Order: sequence, then C-alpha cells, then structure tokens
Amino acid sequence: MPLFFVFLLAPIAVAIALYRRNPRRFLDGPSEDAPLRLLRWAISLLSPQRAEWGQAMLGELAHLDGRWRRMRFATGCAGAALVMPPWGQAAAGLCAMVAITAASFAVYAGLTVHYRLGAGGWFGVGGWIALAVVLLICVGYLLGASALLRRPGIALPGLIGGLFATLVGLALSGFTAIDQVTYIPTGWHRGVTVLAVPAAIGVAGTLWRRDPAAGRRVARLAALSAGLLQLLYATVAVAILGGGGPPDQDGGFTVRGTVSDRLGNNIVHLAVTTLLIALIGWAAAALTGYLVRRTPTPAADPIGEV
Amino acid sequence: MQRNRPPSPQTVNVLRALAADPARWRYGYDLGTQVNLKSGSLYPILVRLADRGLLETAWEPGVDSRPPRHLCRLTGAGRDFVAALAAARSERSATHPRHLLSEA
Repeated sequence: MPLFFVFLLAPIAVAIALYRRNPRRFLDGPSEDAPLRLLRWAISLLSPQRAEWGQAMLGELAHLDGRWRRMRFATGCAGAALVMPPWGQAAAGLCAMVAITAASFAVYAGLTVHYRLGAGGWFGVGGWIALAVVLLICVGYLLGASALLRRPGIALPGLIGGLFATLVGLALSGFTAIDQVTYIPTGWHRGVTVLAVPAAIGVAGTLWRRDPAAGRRVARLAALSAGLLQLLYATVAVAILGGGGPPDQDGGFTVRGTVSDRLGNNIVHLAVTTLLIALIGWAAAALTGYLVRRTPTPAADPIGEV
Repeated sequence: MQRNRPPSPQTVNVLRALAADPARWRYGYDLGTQVNLKSGSLYPILVRLADRGLLETAWEPGVDSRPPRHLCRLTGAGRDFVAALAAARSERSATHPRHLLSEA
C-alpha cells in the first residue's frame, strides 16, 4: 500500500517541482510557444556537424505564422532531428537497445501465437490487442532512449546504470526461470531495488558528469534500459517455463491462463522498474547536485596576506 | 565509403525544383511546399544533398527580432547532376518506350 501512494504522489510532486522551476514550461507565450520549444529540444539532440541545419529549422519556424502550421513544421523537423545521422558512439547503444527490444517483442509475440493468448475473449482479438499495446510500449521506450542516447556523455553511464540495476535485480531474485516467475521482493530486498539502486544511479550520474541535469538523464536512460533488459530476461523465462513451474495463485488453472498472467506480470514489472529508477534516480541526482553546489569552496584571501 | 544509390523520387523532385531556377536562393519551407514534402522529409534530403556537395547554403540576415533565415541553391556540381539525371531519364525512355506512354 505505501508503494501505491509513492506511485500516486511522485508524478504530482515532479510536476509541481517542474512548474515551480519554470512556470512558462506549461504555458504558451507569444515569444516561445510549444512548436518552438519542441524544435529547440529536438535540435539540441543534433550532432555538432548538423548545428547549422538545426538553426536553419529554427530560422524557418520563426517566419511561419499560424499555430497549426508551426506545429506541423516543428513536429516534422523534430522527427528528422531525432534520427538524423551522424550518431557517433551512441549508435552502438541504440543498436543494443533495438536488439534487446526486438528480441523481447519477438519472444512475446511467439508466446502469444503459440499459446493463442486472448483467443476467445474480446471477440478473439484480445491477444492481438495486447500485442499491439506491448509493441507501442516498446516503441515508446526506444524513442525515449534514442533521445537520451544522443545527449553528449549520457549513453555510457546510462547504459551501465541500466545494466547495474538489472544485475542487482537478478542477483536478488535468482537467475533461473522459476526465480523469475516466483520472486516477490520483501524486506531489505525491496529497499535495495526500490531505493538504494535507483539512488546510486542518480548520484553516480551526477558525480560522473558533474551536472545534476546530466545525472537526471542518466537515471532516465538507466531506467529505460533496465526495464527493457529485465523484460527480455523475464519473457525468455516465461518461454522456457511455459505453463510449467509452480502454479500461479491468480493465473487460472489453464496453461494459457498461467502464461498470460506471467507475461502480464512482466509488463507491470517493466512499468514499475522504469518508473522507480527514473523517479528515485531523478530525485537523487537533483539532491546530489544541490549538495555539491552547497559544498563550500576555500575562500580566496580577501586581504592578500597569504 | 560513400554509397552511390540512385536518388529517391522525392530527392529528384527537390532537385528539379531547385534546377528550375538554379541561380535563385530558396527557403526550406517554400521549397517543401512547392514539392509537397513535409519538413521531416525535406530537411534530411537537403542535408544529404549538401553533404554530397550538390547544394550550397547561405544565411539571410534576420529582420527585426526574427533570426536569420537559411537559403539554399544548387552548386555547379548539383546542376551537372540534375542534367545527368535528365539525360539518363531520356535515354531510358528512348530504350523503353513504355516509359513515354506512362508519362504521357
């Protein structure tokens, strides 16, 4: 139950913090509207070689009138900027993320087809709807990760953070397929996965880059990559076990029901893992940045006697 | 190593629009409107053409509080490339008259 309140209140707290920092972020003004902010954000992802083209898009947007026309132009440019090469070393990270996501989705789709999940319910298309939702989630994760990977100096610490969170989670739960479907964190395990690891990622990201904004991005990328890695591991575990292993309490008494329940648990776990690491890591990075800024530096001798 | 793939139909349209008046500097948005391309498709094409040296760019100074505006037009190499494209196309049409029929 306390965890439920954390989930409920944390996004509200983040929204209030963001609003207090910059109220204009949520309001359209005549000088900086939503299309301009979107385009500014997108061109900040471009590599330095493409900076001229980013300025070209901004210059063009400044000469367009009409909210709808501006938004269409900015959305198109943002899409182009998101994928425009060169990616440099971030390309390797993106390839890894795409491979992990594609493998997870392929196994998930294979299980849906093999066990005919959802057949019979919702006019026989329930499984396909679930599959489409999972695909949307995966694409969303990849888009978010691709934007973060392009930020200078974020890819390596972010992916290491994701790997770290995954390994700690697996070390606590156990590495076997049965461990994956039966593990329920309790006691200090929960403290480690929910608080210590995400906080460590946020702190390390801030200290690595000496910048709390970078630390927050590192935490977000770590959250996305850890979520996808754990999804792959857990989905493969379900594929290995199928309907075998210990029976689920709430998964029904059929093989199809058990597999469906386990896959559903994996998706919930994906959302929970991502949200927790991103939120706690975000807070830890912000706090670290605040403390680092407040650390007094040796004052210069005002009289010059030394 | 740079690949020499044939240009896409969208790229050909952009090249043709630029070649219609090669001396004239063009704005990105106007060019996109002329060839019916969204900004998300147009700018990657312009970037690739500039990378291949087929396009030159310049800046128009900003007026009032507006930022400078980007301009582009074909280089000499770009004009040669468009001429070569047109020649290759007419040669193909001569070899395969069906193209002429379909274009008519």
